[in-house]
Amino acid sequence: MKILNKKIGFSIFIMAILLYPAIADSKWLAIGSTFLIFSVVGLSEDIILGKGGMFNMGHALFFGMGAYAAAILNKSFGLPILYSIPFAILIPALFGIVLAGPIIHLRGDYLLVSTIGLNIVFIQMLENDLFGLTGGPNGIFGLDTPTLFGFELSSPAAIYYMGVIVLLITFYIMANLDRSKPGRALHYLRLDDLAAQSIGINTRGYKIFAFGLGAGLAGLAGVLFAIQYSAVSPEAFNFMQSVLFFSIVLVGGSSLPGILMGTFVMFILPEIFRDFATWRYFIFGFAMILAMVLRPEGIFPARFGKIPNWISKKGIKDGAS
Amino acid sequence: MALLELKNITKRFGGLTAVDNLNLTVEKGQIYGIIGPNGAGKTTAFNCITGIHPPEEGEVLWYGGKETKPKEITGLPPHKVAAMGIVRTFQTIRLFSEMSIAENIMSGRHFRGRQKWWHGISHTPFSLKDEKKNWLKVKETLEFFNITELAAEPVGSLAYGIQRKVEMARALASEPELLILDEPAAGLNDSETMELVDTIYSIRDKGITILLIEHNMDLVMTLTDYITVINFGKQIAEGLPDKIQSDPMVIEAYLGSEDDDDE
Repeated sequence: MKILNKKIGFSIFIMAILLYPAIADSKWLAIGSTFLIFSVVGLSEDIILGKGGMFNMGHALFFGMGAYAAAILNKSFGLPILYSIPFAILIPALFGIVLAGPIIHLRGDYLLVSTIGLNIVFIQMLENDLFGLTGGPNGIFGLDTPTLFGFELSSPAAIYYMGVIVLLITFYIMANLDRSKPGRALHYLRLDDLAAQSIGINTRGYKIFAFGLGAGLAGLAGVLFAIQYSAVSPEAFNFMQSVLFFSIVLVGGSSLPGILMGTFVMFILPEIFRDFATWRYFIFGFAMILAMVLRPEGIFPARFGKIPNWISKKGIKDGAS
Repeated sequence: MALLELKNITKRFGGLTAVDNLNLTVEKGQIYGIIGPNGAGKTTAFNCITGIHPPEEGEVLWYGGKETKPKEITGLPPHKVAAMGIVRTFQTIRLFSEMSIAENIMSGRHFRGRQKWWHGISHTPFSLKDEKKNWLKVKETLEFFNITELAAEPVGSLAYGIQRKVEMARALASEPELLILDEPAAGLNDSETMELVDTIYSIRDKGITILLIEHNMDLVMTLTDYITVINFGKQIAEGLPDKIQSDPMVIEAYLGSEDDDDE
């Protein structure tokens, strides 16, 4: 029953995001694109924080690195923005791996502080116009519009559908993680690192894997962000953004509905209720506190028991998300 | 034929010598017992073998695997020791409590699985086959321990005796050559202990060597083929169960003190 409900819910969600442009004007399409892009970032943070259990409070760094990689390659090297996608995935992924290496053994709060440090250093580098490439505090603007087979993909709907494609790719990866050895390894090492090691799991290796994968996906979302605004600037990737990505996973819970709802609450509701000005943050602050008190595992916590139903007659008690 | 050999293993924590010049040899196919009073250094000895606490001195030699030459495994990280075929359980249960029994047991298939990191991003026909093969082994293990009915239950909510079983099942699913059990009967009632004895025998019948620490004296004496007694980190006796039972040193250090405590 539950699994069926989930499948229906998921299908409705996919239909809704596919059909949304039919009813939305350009302002609402832009908000929709924002939702798609930040959902991808939220899900990529979920790989590191939700599944791997590593307190990464610097995730905006990888998001920003993807956006800046695309912007710099486009602006300074004249590479068409769609061709920059592989670089915008690989550069943050490699940085994720290299940066995670020396700090990954730190536990909880220590790792959290280290990642905050990394994020701050990143912003400082951007603002100080590193190698004359990052454009300083104003960032880089006037990026080319993406073209594919001679078509300009500059309309809000085109950008929106690029977001849909990237979100679907991310869904595929998340589903695949749930049913593969590397994905399970992350759950094992989060729940008990020593037990995981003792059963033969190279926990350090898989933690670095999580950082690399999460950073790569965030970088991919970064390209879309750069395309949407045809500009990048440091304040879009600062520590405050990282806090929001962190909160999405904690408040929403480590699951697809959790992350999507978290993204909606953290990034979309503030857009919709712009008229209420600062009051909205006052209310959101309290809503976050309330959510954590009432549901410390998040509103939609991760579910387990994802086993093939031929294993036990009782089968799946609760299926995959 | 020797399977595991500890040579002059010494482990210190600051000023305390937890394991002092320990020597022992586990033969293939044996059920080998390590006994000793609380704090004698038994678990530390296990931690030295499994890489959790590498020893300061001495060496751990492993004769398992396909090669005939012994391999020195001293100081290898735990996951590499496990991949050699040396898998352990813990004195205090360490399961992945939010996950189901089947998923817990699947963790034992980790290093036997042939999937690489990129299969986490996308499966291939090869990795799907590997996935299926490992789940089949989980099913087999569930049946061996007679817990198939509970496969989808989260382990955290199960009775203590079942959690102990799941921990052994997880270790066994990895098809170890040497299974290390740290007080497998702790907290079990009489009928569960009887069942444990049968289980351990049938694990041995699969050709798996067993090294265990146990406090339940009756259990150790009936179960094991060979015993080493440790006190204050030092080996004070070794031999067949009958010989150990009548060894005055052992009676003084261990059996005697247990009578005094009289539970």
